[in-house]
Amino acid sequence: MLRAWLTNGWLRIKALLRRRQLDRDLEEELRFHLAMREEKLRADAMGVGGSTASANARVETSLAHSAARKRFGNVTLLKERCREMWTFASLESFFQDLRYGFRMLHKSPGFTAVAVLTLALGIGANTIVLSMVSGLLLRPPSVKDPDSLMIVCSKDPANVFDAVRAHISVDDYLDWRALSTVFSGMAAADFGDFSDFNVFTISGDAPPERADGARISYNFFQVLGIPPILGRSFLPDEDRPGHDNNVVVLSNDIWHSRFASDPRVLGRTVLLNGKRYTIVGVLPSSFRLWDFDAQIWIPLVFSPDDLRPAARASRNLRVFARLKPSMTEKLASGEMAAIAQRLSQAHPETNKNWGATVMSLQEYSIADANAGPALVSLMAAAGFVLLIACANLAGILLARNSARRQEFSIRAVLGAGRLRLARQLLTECLLLSAAGAGLGILFAQAGIRAIVSEFNWNAAVIALASEFTIDTRVLLLTAGVCVFTALILAIAPAMQFARRDPGVCLGESGRSATPGRQRHRLQRLLVAGQIALSLILLTGAGFFVEEFFQEIRAATGFNPSHLLTASVSLRSLQYFGAPQRESEFYESALRQIRTSAQAQSAAATSDLPFTFPGSIRFVLEGHPVAKPSDAPLSGYADITPGYFQTLGVPLLQGRAFTSSDGPASSPVAIIDQAFAARYFPGENPIGRHLQIDPTNRAGAPWSEIIGVVGDVKDFLGESKPRPHLFEPFLAHPTGTMSFVVRTRSAPAAFSDPLRQAIWATDAGQAVSDVKTMARVISDSGQGDNIMAYLMAGFSALALALAGIGIYGVLSYLVAQRTHEIGIRMALGAEPRQVLALVLRNGMLLIGAGLVVGFLISLALPQVLRAAFGGIPRNAMGILGAAALLVIVAGFSACYVPARRAMRADPMVALRYE
Amino acid sequence: MATEGELLPGTLDMLILKTLNRGPAHGYAIAEFIQQAPDEALRVEEGALYPALHRLELRALLASEWGASENNRRAKYYRLTRAGRKQLAQETAQWRRMTAAIARVMQTA
Repeated sequence: MLRAWLTNGWLRIKALLRRRQLDRDLEEELRFHLAMREEKLRADAMGVGGSTASANARVETSLAHSAARKRFGNVTLLKERCREMWTFASLESFFQDLRYGFRMLHKSPGFTAVAVLTLALGIGANTIVLSMVSGLLLRPPSVKDPDSLMIVCSKDPANVFDAVRAHISVDDYLDWRALSTVFSGMAAADFGDFSDFNVFTISGDAPPERADGARISYNFFQVLGIPPILGRSFLPDEDRPGHDNNVVVLSNDIWHSRFASDPRVLGRTVLLNGKRYTIVGVLPSSFRLWDFDAQIWIPLVFSPDDLRPAARASRNLRVFARLKPSMTEKLASGEMAAIAQRLSQAHPETNKNWGATVMSLQEYSIADANAGPALVSLMAAAGFVLLIACANLAGILLARNSARRQEFSIRAVLGAGRLRLARQLLTECLLLSAAGAGLGILFAQAGIRAIVSEFNWNAAVIALASEFTIDTRVLLLTAGVCVFTALILAIAPAMQFARRDPGVCLGESGRSATPGRQRHRLQRLLVAGQIALSLILLTGAGFFVEEFFQEIRAATGFNPSHLLTASVSLRSLQYFGAPQRESEFYESALRQIRTSAQAQSAAATSDLPFTFPGSIRFVLEGHPVAKPSDAPLSGYADITPGYFQTLGVPLLQGRAFTSSDGPASSPVAIIDQAFAARYFPGENPIGRHLQIDPTNRAGAPWSEIIGVVGDVKDFLGESKPRPHLFEPFLAHPTGTMSFVVRTRSAPAAFSDPLRQAIWATDAGQAVSDVKTMARVISDSGQGDNIMAYLMAGFSALALALAGIGIYGVLSYLVAQRTHEIGIRMALGAEPRQVLALVLRNGMLLIGAGLVVGFLISLALPQVLRAAFGGIPRNAMGILGAAALLVIVAGFSACYVPARRAMRADPMVALRYE
Repeated sequence: MATEGELLPGTLDMLILKTLNRGPAHGYAIAEFIQQAPDEALRVEEGALYPALHRLELRALLASEWGASENNRRAKYYRLTRAGRKQLAQETAQWRRMTAAIARVMQTA
């Protein structure tokens, strides 16, 4: 058996090398046979007929040749069959098909370009989106055994947004730790979500810088399963009061950037907010905890204050826990719910009806990032694009195959089997797919690179984004879908042709008038479907794009160009509890800045616009409240004189703060227009009084409103501005302010002079977040701009694809009627009449598609509202615009080729096949 | 079932092997020998011989070489290899068994 196979192979290889010889031999062998047979027949004929000269005999002999051939069979076919055996037939015919395919594709560059581009765009777009999805959703967090690492959260009975992921108080955590049995380890962490306490100034041997930190239980890294690459994490005593708590573990990033990855960093000390800490460990570079970027980790020490009964209501901690090997998430959830209930009954004043939830770290990250709806809509958009791409492919492939009917009929007549024809089409299809997929990969790579560079609003996100790559499974899946569609569409017609009588095909294409309705029904359906799809997608895209432009267009309320900002948080001991020194620092720093020629004006504020400023409670005169928690909330900022002028916010009434509005003078406040409209409608607010933050201020003083300014937005796309209150910094100094400087030329160039000016006042303070205002605004979007770009990109893509597709197929359909047009014109019809006829038919088709698409699009605003919560403005307008676009595209698709055919000489048109 | 005069598939190979058992021959000669059965009962589309010949050669049951024919034309001669002989013996035995079985069934009717 093996021997035979070996010999077989050997013989074939030999044949491969001596191909031409083989062909000649085969030819000669068959010719020999034919010659012998012919001779024999002639000899027989002559023998029967008698003399050579008889006419009969002559006829017989001339017939001998054809008789011999007849008896032999189809010489060409037999030769091929023999040849096939010797050669690696499939390989050879494959190459043949390939060459032929190349030629055919080359001959119709328009078709090839459209097909390849369609494939590339469809595959590329989907790969990008699905890779992002799999990168974000399916990537496990970088801890040991991610499936058994849980986050335990409180469940707020009041159910105000993130109800199931609320933080935990200290006492609750300690009780949970004591009472639970399903976890092998539990650890708490304070990431400073509700205070500024976790922003540290690191100083020491290098210039001071700000870094985010976290306070953690001593066993935090054990629970997570992250061993430090250098040194150790914390010892059990280090998070207890009364012991040495001043130890710190560094993240890999800061070890790299500040300590130059020095392996001897252990044992060195750094100043954190002025206190001395010893470095005891460094974390691995692979460690990342979702969207949070903690560079320094210090022990979480509970003060007696934290353990008071009332403090049970202060929930600031996150709790991580590792499931015991035999436990499941469900069991853990059950136990924690029971424990929470016990606590609820034991401490009703703080814990009434509070619950506990357990979820895996990954689940939590996804919910936290709130990426769900955005990703889903992106996937929907990409799906649409894919659909349109497939429809495009369908349309042009069908059109093309119809055009090649004649070619296939001829080949069928010549003996090509159904399989052979199918193989030819398959090969062409594969060529197209290969080109399309290759281009698609390039497109996807470029796209992902572009997107990754947009993920830049904080360092953790940058790290996250750097792990985005093309997911090969996604690529294969998408490519597979496209290619599969193309295959089916390429081969189905071939099957059809081979089955019918080739004679019919040959006859039809040559002589027919307009092809019957039946023939093109599938194509008409496709066109109508494509039009409907395009309309839907265009409308949906239109909504997103409009939303996006809204955001961009939305006036910020001030002039954001030429503004540089920087943030300083006074953390040294000298400023602690000394408001006088704090205000002196900022005053002096501002004076320093103003001396520079570059600075047109400068001021400072406790909260920059577009950084989600805090809120404060207030009480209006004449509107007393029963409980402090009933007092209304307003946005709030503490500002130095000259703030509004620097930003370019107009002063509408009254006056701005001056340097005489200090701690000794009577309290004053400024409100913005939104505040005035809400609380003083139709009245003059100047001279009215309000109590600001009455619960926390001694004596609850009444402040007088001295001015009204224009509104400033808090976030991009805010439609109704929130009310804001402003107080003078000098009267209420705080330790964390942001500088705003209006520069004469490029703001970024002022970064260094700004730092120098601040350090000239106090060299020990860290200057952080030196950004231009434009950057602050775009960072505040937190990825909204990515979403908008992507949706806009997809829309444009879809529009382009749809346009090409519609044009292609409609052009073909119209071109098919060229023959008919020629007849009509030859019979005397006016060119105009013919044009009108063709256009009418075409537009009817488009109209059908439009109606369907329109009906479906009407439901779109509802769908978008359910997903995103925003009603698209001007929905009908967008729908109308999209419909118009489609009509225009369709019309030109009908008109151009119709006109071309109409203009042609009728004789030429008649002969057109 | 094959129509009258046509060969059952697979028997062509056997006939070729048997023919070549008598000695090397070229394709035409093989065709003539096979078709010399009375009433031209075994009418073969002559061309069909050649794919069969080539196939057998590829299976190393035949070997070929070019030589001069009776009238000094260049022709390709085929001969049985040892494997071919073995194959012929196998197929002959199988054929005999099958025809005997069929004959038995036909006789009982």
